[in-house]
Amino acid sequence: MSSSALVRLLKSLDPLSPEVSIGDVADRLLTAEHKAFLSLPVVGFDGRPLGLVSRSRLQDIFMQRFGRDLWGRRPVADVMNPEPLIVSLETGLEEAARQITGKLQYPITEDFILVDGDGRYRGLGTVLDLLKAMEDRIAQRNRVLRKALVELKESQTQLVQSEKMASLGQMVAGVAHELNTPLGYVKNNVQLLRELTGPLFELAEAQARLAECLGATDADEERLATALENAARARERASPESLSDDLGQLFDDTLYGLGQIGELVVGLKDFARLDRAMSEEVDLNDCIRSTLVIARNGIKDKAEVATQLGDLPRIACAPSQINQVLLNLLNNAAQAMEGFGRIQVRSWADRQALYVSVQDNGCGMPPEVQKSIFDPFFTTKPVGKGTGLGLSISFKIIQDHGGSIRVASEVGRGTRFLISLPLGQATTLQRSA
Amino acid sequence: MNQPTRILFIDDEERILRSLAMQFRRQYEVLTESDPRRALQRLQSEPVDIIVCDQRMPQMNGAELLSQARELVPGSLRILLTGYSDLDAAVEALNGGGIFRYLTKPWDPQEMAFTLRQAAEIAARQGLADGQPTGANSALPVNVLLLDDTADTLDCVEQFCSAGGHRLLRARTVGEAVERLNAEPIDLLVSDLKLAGEDTAPLLKTLAQAHPRLLSLVVTPFRDTQALLKLINEAQIFRYLPKPIRRGLFEKGLRAAADQVVAWRAQPVTAPARLAEAPRDAREREKVGSLLGMLGRLRQRLSA
Repeated sequence: MSSSALVRLLKSLDPLSPEVSIGDVADRLLTAEHKAFLSLPVVGFDGRPLGLVSRSRLQDIFMQRFGRDLWGRRPVADVMNPEPLIVSLETGLEEAARQITGKLQYPITEDFILVDGDGRYRGLGTVLDLLKAMEDRIAQRNRVLRKALVELKESQTQLVQSEKMASLGQMVAGVAHELNTPLGYVKNNVQLLRELTGPLFELAEAQARLAECLGATDADEERLATALENAARARERASPESLSDDLGQLFDDTLYGLGQIGELVVGLKDFARLDRAMSEEVDLNDCIRSTLVIARNGIKDKAEVATQLGDLPRIACAPSQINQVLLNLLNNAAQAMEGFGRIQVRSWADRQALYVSVQDNGCGMPPEVQKSIFDPFFTTKPVGKGTGLGLSISFKIIQDHGGSIRVASEVGRGTRFLISLPLGQATTLQRSA
Repeated sequence: MNQPTRILFIDDEERILRSLAMQFRRQYEVLTESDPRRALQRLQSEPVDIIVCDQRMPQMNGAELLSQARELVPGSLRILLTGYSDLDAAVEALNGGGIFRYLTKPWDPQEMAFTLRQAAEIAARQGLADGQPTGANSALPVNVLLLDDTADTLDCVEQFCSAGGHRLLRARTVGEAVERLNAEPIDLLVSDLKLAGEDTAPLLKTLAQAHPRLLSLVVTPFRDTQALLKLINEAQIFRYLPKPIRRGLFEKGLRAAADQVVAWRAQPVTAPARLAEAPRDAREREKVGSLLGMLGRLRQRLSA
């Protein structure tokens, strides 16, 4: 706090010496320049304040019969308040306000004395000015806070967005990579099919020649023998009997691979579908399934996933947001694994709500970590590895759906997240991100 | 030596295994395994020349498997085949598994065939060289050429050389390095990927062709999977070490390299060492071509 705050309240005013008569004080209080003051300061020779004499004190005296006659000549020191409010100019505005309001009594009859660092009189300050200064200060604070709030909201939106982009990017990269496996063997198989079928065409060609030979009236023995031999050799090379098994296998695998590629692409589309209407009637099991397709590659070397999906009524929700929550929980579960673990995903419903639980047998969390996991920016990952926003955003998404997300965890045994979403109520969805 | 080359393919996707087996069963003896742990068991009992392994599998990743395979069958040629560009996996597969190639899915059937042919060639020549130790000059000091100005690296390499009685040479530019390589019998190269602002990768790639027995340790602050992949395939580097250097790791790499140099000295020159692919990038190929010309004296000395 700068000391200038109080300097602005300072009103220079010639102080009274203690010997000045009460009558003179009264005259002075009646002058225009003292009109704004409730009281006048009394200061000793050494410049230190001795007290304040207030308008109200003099009024009390003068209201008595013969008041001025009796008291008028007496020194002001006799009637002043010897314990006035004294505030150092070096005090901050808020501290000064605290000191003054702490001692102030109703009705307000006095001002306060302002002194320098050495305790010497510098002037008077009025309570009204102090109030105004405080009001200004508060208004200014509010402006700053409002601005900070706006900035905070903007950066929160950005962070939520970047977390979303980060998880989306991670997911897209994961799926792109996973496409490489079926692409790998499909490409190889097609190349093989081309190589393997080559001899079949040669065989067909050789047999056509042979047939030609057999049909020709002028074919001599030698030509026929050559054609026969060529056809036999081509047949041996192509060996259609053993080839048929290979080709069957290659076609099966290739079709399977193309199916896999298709599934991944559909999964990607389902997962990332933009929620045109914020609330669609959705089977949450579909969300779970498409998220598992997407998450599979990140998980497969860390855990096996078991699902137990019960019959669920359709509910209104924003599926891409729910998918984001599920992906976050699955990735967390996979990352909690110390060896190769197991993740169990279950869904079920009762009359009030439907439930999804994601349970892992990973490292678990101590209570102090559990307490903070939904806090923004809380992360147990090394710097740069996580934004610390995943679960807090998940929390917000589920909250916006009118549901709840809870956690139970034990160190060394694993963690279980339970999402519940209420049924049959018109939940007003808010766009959370 | 007339036995066919034995190749073990390991992938958790059976269809990959079937496809590869069908492609190569005519030229090689093909073994396949979808379970990494069973693959390791198999390596303990069956001879295998080439191991081609997927990276992401349940139970165990490819880099880890290849590191263990290297312990079990040091003479095998190891190839990582992966659909993921994952720097940590590549570094582990190189530093731990000493991989011969890093191939990506989907692979090109012709390139795969070419790579396996190269590997089989090395395996066959290795078989020939076995049991013909020359024992010559294996006691001579190892000559180390340092292409890195960082104080940390210098300090570490200096300590290693003085402790092991090795000779340390330095070059401050690629040009200086070429001069040194022409003049001195260098065994070991410790290099950053940038030297006085110049890219050293072409030199490393050139040396893989000109001087197969020279080992390169790359120390770099860069973390670029694609660049590493090319350094493995086209420069056949020995180690890829992060900067700032971790002393333990760095010294381990240097020691392993020196051991390898000494082991190679005991084998006839015909024994294979490294076999790198030609750079894919046309400009880099040109650069390598001109560097090969500049390293004429080195090549003369080696062929003498």
